[in-house]
Amino acid sequence: MEINIFQALLLAVMASLTSVIGALGTTYSWYTLSRPLVASLVVGLILGDVKTSIMVGAAIQVVYIALVTPGGTVSADLRAVSYIGIPLAVAAVKGAGLNPASAQGAGLAVSIGALVGTVGTVMFYSTATMNLIWQQIGWKAIDKLNYRIIYLTNFIFPLISHFVIAFLPTFFITYYGTDIVANLKEWLPMDGIPMKTMFTLGSLLPAVGIGILLKQVVQNPVDLIIFFFGFTLAAALKINLVGAAFVGAMIAFLNYKIIMVGAGKKSASHEEDL
Amino acid sequence: MSVKLTKKTKDQAFWWWYNGNLTGFTHQHMQTFGFMCAMIPVIKELYKDDTHRLRSLKTYTPFFNTEPQIGSMVVGISVGLEEARANGHEEIDDEMINGIRAGLMGPLAGIGDSLIPGTYIPILLSIALGLSTDGSPLGAIFYAIVYIGTMTFFMKYIFDKGYELGGRAVDVVIGEQATAFRESMVMVGTIVIGSLAASWIGVSTALKFDLGTYYNAAGEQVANVLRLQDTLNGIFPNLLSLLTVLFTWYLMTKKKMSPITVMLILVVVALVGVLIGFFDPGLSY
Repeated sequence: MEINIFQALLLAVMASLTSVIGALGTTYSWYTLSRPLVASLVVGLILGDVKTSIMVGAAIQVVYIALVTPGGTVSADLRAVSYIGIPLAVAAVKGAGLNPASAQGAGLAVSIGALVGTVGTVMFYSTATMNLIWQQIGWKAIDKLNYRIIYLTNFIFPLISHFVIAFLPTFFITYYGTDIVANLKEWLPMDGIPMKTMFTLGSLLPAVGIGILLKQVVQNPVDLIIFFFGFTLAAALKINLVGAAFVGAMIAFLNYKIIMVGAGKKSASHEEDL
Repeated sequence: MSVKLTKKTKDQAFWWWYNGNLTGFTHQHMQTFGFMCAMIPVIKELYKDDTHRLRSLKTYTPFFNTEPQIGSMVVGISVGLEEARANGHEEIDDEMINGIRAGLMGPLAGIGDSLIPGTYIPILLSIALGLSTDGSPLGAIFYAIVYIGTMTFFMKYIFDKGYELGGRAVDVVIGEQATAFRESMVMVGTIVIGSLAASWIGVSTALKFDLGTYYNAAGEQVANVLRLQDTLNGIFPNLLSLLTVLFTWYLMTKKKMSPITVMLILVVVALVGVLIGFFDPGLSY
């Protein structure tokens, strides 16, 4: 599969705009357009193969399902995963002749996505550092009440950082990289140790995404029971995800009612004391 | 004479924040410039002389960082306070405004991070993944519309609450009812993530043991092979995936490892597993 200059340019524009500190705002760029599942639709439209792209993007999404960025620490800037990783993964999966829906296809895609994701971390910290230059200009504008410069500092100057740190690398990596990964099988046999490890790693990595989430919600190991319940719904009872969401909502509804009844009693008895 | 901000100005403050809360990010001043940009239209409308404008603009120069979506409440509160200050409330000074700003950003970041990227987004994405299993664009479209729609509404709602109620607005997110709601949301999230793990993680082993041969009912000699994966599935379906998740959770929670370290450990696990024949994707040309 080849990517032409125009396609690489579009991917580079998307990578520039969708960082956590990207030009399109937090809500619709970082939390929407940079999510691998949403990005895979955009990438699919750019590459002209929506189906493969979404299968690849969905597999990669699981790894980054619960990405929280407390206090400006970013474990993976998703723009690299989404707009470099997904195109490369699509090229690799197609080049190796794998079915993207198969475990092996997903495994290869996830491994490539995570590998490229590490580039994103570098991109994030470099952009934030380069923005220091613009803020120096901005601080000087405050005393002069130059509102225009303050707006430029926050909205327009950072685009230069994105251009240097995200646009150019994304363009070159996707333009020249797809050829390399598409011919993966010529230099790495699929039954060799490196490729077997890649496929296996891809099946293990989504567990990290789930683990990150559990770390936040499970305060007490007993809370794991809620997670086991959800796992059992799908693994043993074969309920699909939409169904599981409704079962979960029902249980949460009961939980809410119980807490509120308890709270009502407390305040009622409190009133009696008075 | 009292000055009242027009709806247009309040909307401008909201939208500047909505579009630019993190765009000028540095580690030195994360959302400070985003916050200032939101306050500029307010300051321009409330004060006509440069002395007051400069004083009020400088109020918003200290460091600011929180979860930006739930943080739109702080912008709303500041807009309200600035309006009150312009109306001659002497007690509202830089110290008071920044006390509220600094006091809220920590707790709101904690609540916002656990509620939005930690719970709401995983639930929505899990459902979206369920809609996209066969490569359909439906899941991506569903997520984009629902997330942007609900989040924009939520941000505007708590911005308005912040403007109306000032510091008391915090009860909207940390009151008894809000806390009960949040805990219940986390519960849905955990259940859905459990299902997601079971549906999307497929760790399996290729290990098998040759136990010689035996004669079946028809009297034919058959190779007796014990496939570990079948045994494990008999105990609990997809058991290895569950154990892998618990392993990563253990490393991150109990051993305090970063996700990147855990990923590197999994690289080693994959390599060793392949070498001893525990893992084998079974592909060749």
